[in-house]
Amino acid sequence: MDSEQRPLSSIDEAFERAPCGLLATTVDGMIVRVNSTFCGWVGYQAQELLEKRRIQDLLTIGGKVFHQTHWAPLLQMQRSVAEVKVDMIHRDGQKVPMLINAARRRHADVEYNEFAVLVVIDRHQYERELLRAREKAEVALEEKRVAEEALREADRRKDAFMATLAHELRNPLAPMRNVVDLLRLKNFADPQLLWARDVLDRQMVQMTHLVDGLLEVSRISEGKITLRRESLDLATALKYAAEACQSIVAAASHTLTVALPHQPVFINADPTRFSQIVQNLLNNAAKYTPDGGAIWLTGRREGEQAVISVRDNGIGIATEHLPSLFEMFSQLGAGLERSQGGLGIGLSLVRTLTELHGGSVSAHSGGAGLGSEFIVRLPLSNEPDATAASHVPDPSARNATRHRVLIVDDNEDAAESLAMLLQAEGYDARTASDGKTGVRLADEFSAEAIILDIGLPDMTGYEVAQAVRQSQSGKSALVIALTGWGQKQDKQDAELAGCDFHFTKPVDLGRLLAILAGGSVDPAA
Amino acid sequence: MSIQERNNVHSSGAGSPTIVFAHGFGCDQTMWRYLHPDFANRHKTVLFDLVGSGQSDLSAYDYAKYGSLHGYAADLLEILDEFASGPVIYVGHSVSAMIGMIAAIEAPERFVANVMVGPSPSFINDGEYVGGFTRSDIDGLLETLESNYLGWSSTMAPVIMGSPDQPELSVELTNSFCRTDPEIAKHFARVTFLADHRADLARVTTPTLILQSSDDLLAPLGVGEYMLAHIPGSTLSVVDNVGHCPHLSAPCASVDATKAFLRQLGLTDHG
Repeated sequence: MDSEQRPLSSIDEAFERAPCGLLATTVDGMIVRVNSTFCGWVGYQAQELLEKRRIQDLLTIGGKVFHQTHWAPLLQMQRSVAEVKVDMIHRDGQKVPMLINAARRRHADVEYNEFAVLVVIDRHQYERELLRAREKAEVALEEKRVAEEALREADRRKDAFMATLAHELRNPLAPMRNVVDLLRLKNFADPQLLWARDVLDRQMVQMTHLVDGLLEVSRISEGKITLRRESLDLATALKYAAEACQSIVAAASHTLTVALPHQPVFINADPTRFSQIVQNLLNNAAKYTPDGGAIWLTGRREGEQAVISVRDNGIGIATEHLPSLFEMFSQLGAGLERSQGGLGIGLSLVRTLTELHGGSVSAHSGGAGLGSEFIVRLPLSNEPDATAASHVPDPSARNATRHRVLIVDDNEDAAESLAMLLQAEGYDARTASDGKTGVRLADEFSAEAIILDIGLPDMTGYEVAQAVRQSQSGKSALVIALTGWGQKQDKQDAELAGCDFHFTKPVDLGRLLAILAGGSVDPAA
Repeated sequence: MSIQERNNVHSSGAGSPTIVFAHGFGCDQTMWRYLHPDFANRHKTVLFDLVGSGQSDLSAYDYAKYGSLHGYAADLLEILDEFASGPVIYVGHSVSAMIGMIAAIEAPERFVANVMVGPSPSFINDGEYVGGFTRSDIDGLLETLESNYLGWSSTMAPVIMGSPDQPELSVELTNSFCRTDPEIAKHFARVTFLADHRADLARVTTPTLILQSSDDLLAPLGVGEYMLAHIPGSTLSVVDNVGHCPHLSAPCASVDATKAFLRQLGLTDHG
């Protein structure tokens, strides 16, 4: 009606020149009406399309399949589709991206599909860009994942390398330790020799301590440490830890003041690991306090926590170093400024072990020269166990004596030096460098004690232990397994194979002598 | 998650044997709306959506499991376990015709007849065999799918224009039978169009009807003849229809052909 009042084009003209392509097809797609806009877009004359081509004939193969599987059924069932995006093939072969809306209509009992079509070249390009961007993002994400995995792998290899390194470093330490212990039994007239021996001894202690720490840290980071927790009396455990550090404290002429809780305080901790925590802190205090300093070890209860404090009046910690103090290698930079800098293994170990126990550790210092305090907080044990104290190793009890000792170790330096040490202590000691000889000698020599290296060339030490146990004299012999690893699994294997004790290299001579002397030393320690 | 939820199973009616309808690539069980009523009064019927299509549980779409048609065949056998009474008449469209065939080769005792609507054992041309497509055609399809699902964002069904002359369809305006997750659609397309089950045809023992359109881009007549020649004892019935969905655009002819076949087997008693 408007067309009569307004100067608009005729309906026919409007159809032909509409700013969109308009078509009608039969239900199987045959084009029966088409406007010139659409004809222009696809490069055909109307008479080349009408009753001659189906709309799907103008599609790419992919578009044809999509027509068959998607919008033709939708048109059939819903009688309409919207926003279908396809490429139409221009007469000259070019693809023209188009957006289609369609409806099915009935005219005089015949059904037709009616289409409105728009060219969407810009939209198509934008879509391609989006898809490319998404592809790039997916590729980048995958690359990131691969890089992270490579980093984790490198980290695992670093851990494995450190564990192997520590293990390898331990092996030469064993005979060196023995030789130094042997030298201690000699009386040197020359004071320079005496001094040299003491230097060797101290450096050996330090070296062993470092290597042990390195091994522990790497095994912890490999997740290979499990705690053997039990209810532990704080006062007793602290007392033993302090005693163990006495020589280091005394060597630097420090004064160690120990304040223990008056009431029993129990924690649920692995005695060995707890002792490591405290000893590392005490060693640290001794190390970073100038000779003749003061160290305080305090244990107390605060609420539901056991609080252990190790304080010194030493060189202190600059504020900027506090946050990274417990990171491994953190002391590398700081170490340049002081003579005793190290890898920072000890404190890293303290933190890891404390956290394994569900506790926390913190460091406090007023600044350089103002001393330091380290505070460990551990949860209290839920079940106080009055007998717990008896589990702590007590090296004082000894009675009988084993005299004939056989050492089986393929590291001949280690075997020989240990034998010499034992001989110096009055034992009759022999050596064997492989398992077979070991089994034979054990019998011939009627060994009363056998010290067995586990990694032998011809058989494992466990197999030797089992063979020894078969013989008459071997039944009552004391069998001591010796490994470089010292893991729980090793200890269990040793027990299963019939070993009475398990030692890690290098051998703690004092403990070995105590056992040979017939002490009731805790085999698990 | 139950099998009913996983595959959006709808079972109704009574009467033996059970007829199971399985839709093809693209849409869902709604595709059977014109065929299903002709059987529903005499048979127990089971309709379902392939996992990844229609109202199936998309979270059950396992790219490894559905990386071949065997994953779908395993689902089908589970559906039969739970919903079918005795061996079934299976009616599968397009890719589901092959899924039914794979399941029937694995468990022939569960099927009394297989009606394949517009089937193709392989879409890609290979020497003498004319499947109708080249590998690059399939890449073109994937690209078209990608463009369209980009338009149909993950939260939007395609906007459906009204059909004022058929108000009973208005409930579908908010629904699309062809909607699914775009990544799944692409994966399903790749699995469907790159599958090659020509070697399995000779292993079929279930009585089989190949129901073909006279003009079907996806399953040219040559493919129907190839299947007839390779499936032992099969029957080919060509209905006059343009397109891949004779059950939608030529339902009467499709019903007639199916019933004639079932009558021959003595599986349906009405004319």
